[in-house]
Amino acid sequence: MTMYLSRILGKPVWDEQGERLGRCVDLLAAEGEVGFPHLRAIAVHDGQETRLIAAQAIAWLTPSIILNTSHPPTYEPRGDELWLARQVLDRQIVDTEGRRLVRANDVQITRVSTNGVRYHLAGVDVGTLGLLRRLGVEGLAQTLFRLLRRQPPKAIIPWRDVASLQADEPIRLRVSLEKISEFHPADIADIIEELDRPTGQALLQTLDTEIIADTIEEIEPELQVSILGTLPPEQAADVLEEMGPDVAADLLADLQPTQRAELLELMEAEDATDVQKLLTFPEDSAGGIMTTEFATIPMGLTVGKALEHLRQSQAAHEDEALFYIYVLDDKRRLQGVIALRELVLASPDVAVRDIMQTGVVTVDPLASQRDVARLVAKYNLLAVPVVDDAETMQGIVTVDDAIDAIIPTAWKKRLPRVF
Amino acid sequence: MTFTQRVRPIALRILFLLGVIGPGLITASAGNDAPGIATYSMAGSFYGYGLLWVLLWAAIGAVVLLEMAARMGATTGKGLTELIRERFGVRVTFLITLGILIANIGTTTAQFAGIAASAELFGLARHTMVPLVAVAVWFLVLRGSYERVERVLLFLTLYAVAYVITTFVVRPPWGEVLRQVMVPSVRLEADYLLALLATVGTTVTPWACAYMQASVADKGVTALEYPYTRFDVILGLMVSSLVAAFIVICAAVTLFANGIRVETATQAAQALAPLAGSWAKQLFGIGLFGASVLAASVLPLATTYAICEVFGWERGIDREVGEAPIFYGLYTLLIVASSIVVLIPGIPLFPLMWLSQVLNAVLLPSVMILMLRLANDPRIMKRQRNSPLTNVLATLLAVVITAATFALLVDAVL
Repeated sequence: MTMYLSRILGKPVWDEQGERLGRCVDLLAAEGEVGFPHLRAIAVHDGQETRLIAAQAIAWLTPSIILNTSHPPTYEPRGDELWLARQVLDRQIVDTEGRRLVRANDVQITRVSTNGVRYHLAGVDVGTLGLLRRLGVEGLAQTLFRLLRRQPPKAIIPWRDVASLQADEPIRLRVSLEKISEFHPADIADIIEELDRPTGQALLQTLDTEIIADTIEEIEPELQVSILGTLPPEQAADVLEEMGPDVAADLLADLQPTQRAELLELMEAEDATDVQKLLTFPEDSAGGIMTTEFATIPMGLTVGKALEHLRQSQAAHEDEALFYIYVLDDKRRLQGVIALRELVLASPDVAVRDIMQTGVVTVDPLASQRDVARLVAKYNLLAVPVVDDAETMQGIVTVDDAIDAIIPTAWKKRLPRVF
Repeated sequence: MTFTQRVRPIALRILFLLGVIGPGLITASAGNDAPGIATYSMAGSFYGYGLLWVLLWAAIGAVVLLEMAARMGATTGKGLTELIRERFGVRVTFLITLGILIANIGTTTAQFAGIAASAELFGLARHTMVPLVAVAVWFLVLRGSYERVERVLLFLTLYAVAYVITTFVVRPPWGEVLRQVMVPSVRLEADYLLALLATVGTTVTPWACAYMQASVADKGVTALEYPYTRFDVILGLMVSSLVAAFIVICAAVTLFANGIRVETATQAAQALAPLAGSWAKQLFGIGLFGASVLAASVLPLATTYAICEVFGWERGIDREVGEAPIFYGLYTLLIVASSIVVLIPGIPLFPLMWLSQVLNAVLLPSVMILMLRLANDPRIMKRQRNSPLTNVLATLLAVVITAATFALLVDAVL
């Protein structure tokens, strides 16, 4: 039998003798060893104070709340309970199956009679029908749907796919939070952008440094700064190390100078140097959007040796996309380029020099982002090397960073999210 | 962001200030839309300086309420209706949202009335202009080419400066003006009470509070940066209230003194005659048009966004119509309904503009009660709860509005 929280809240609670104990103001549930969370207690308010009655005293929840005793046992909270009315109803929750943020319009509870546990949390209603039920017009809506010969849209998320987020208290239900950490960082970023800040931060802090880095990269620039600012400095520095130097530099550039210096100090020297170099270029120039992590090989290798070199090379491992391999001489001057595809498909004995492309299209670190975008589009490049006056290779601009300049910002972003 | 690193430290500080400042100035300048201009012109022409004290107290009330909303936004990171829903449930939220929707339909109607009135100032028929602008607004906003138009419109609204200059041209009796600002004078007659409520409703609305809180929450202003925001709220309101006062004074000197009671836009335009002479009509017409179209473009979309967000419906102009039917339906309904009202034959445009604001004032106390409860709730606000002064001032405002509403009802019944 399925019932809804909205139909239970506010109802009078009667004991076995028919004595009225008060009104039901909340239900407490907690995760059991197996399966869905079950009901632990019912909060009853008698006009003066709220009392918790253990769930085993409940005989019926609907149509009326009736206890099976006239001396109901009091429930002592253990701290792991979820207060359904206070913490779930009307709150934002994550639908881990749909990977989106939704609001709990109602909570579905099922009565089962196995193993002595009699009430389970079955799911969360996030649909319009749930809203109408709360407004007391569900019946009317059902009739309307019947008249229109349509099925009312059901939008119940099973409880196992629900992650509840509460910033003011420790985040509960770790099982479902683990699911969030398996989302694509872009999905996590969407959820954090839509959440209010305290909750978003709390959620972010439960994630691994690496996932935090990937997630922040996906978040809007303005929000990046404020989110990074809420992390403890050591963790923020770790997150910056995990990011591509180009993204880290953009982010640091938007920080207050003192904060920037502090974080650079805390970062590992090697990463910090890369980032600092990028920080010297204007933000919308090739130097400002390039990354310093790209794969290179020295001159004079065969294809087989080149691939061997790449496997050992840290730079190759850090290269986000690894579209192209750049051939540099001992003064780090760009001699040629070869697509990884070519390299993999060529026979191992061929000299790289024979199949690499020379006369590479390059850009100056001070070239504007718009010019870089045009070059990338014109020559159909996936990345373009950035070479300074001394012909030293400084970095690469990947296609995604280049085209940001020519894709207009969505108008939507200018509108504040009103509620 | 086209600033180079070399200028970044200074530029960043300015950008930071502007970024935090934005919402307050925008919310405040919304007071200079069609209903605002109509209300202040009406107030000045009917009661001279007699409503200036209301303007002062409405501005104080607005500072108190908007500051409260901004603080709630900064502390919780949540919007007003979001907090209302989490604390008071779906029914209360539904009623409040419905109230705001109705009030905003009223305000949007007032903007279209402003468009119609300004069209008629230039001898254009409202039956062609209003549908034309309605369709243009619908398309421009949804197609995203609105940004360029917005700049032009913002420029047009600068005509409000003309009121400031006119005031100094006509040299009002400043001593008398000041006395009227400081000393309240109440008349217990229906027209006066309506004018009083309209003045309050133009200055501070439930919608403005919700908008304020949402933009602060959205910007991610933290408690640390909050002083900037408070400064911004107060500055924005001071600017818009001063302009409002200048409109009232202009109307009082040029219209009230000559026995003209504003019923039409042509009459209202005469308030600018001491400065613009025979061009007053054109100046007023252009400004009214700009302000009306500006507000008519922003309000329906923002309202639709807000309502869809409260109930979790698909929303956003990046969605297809089929994906977000309620969003597009509601948006279209808002524009169509508002422009149709204006086209009802014989409907008096000017009174329509300011009477729509009475709705906002009447709705305000119920929203204020919820805001006061939220802003004093330690679980929600932690240490950022209301100061006793804020509570006293807000309660006082609510009591005055409620009293005026009741007096008006009693008057209507008897």
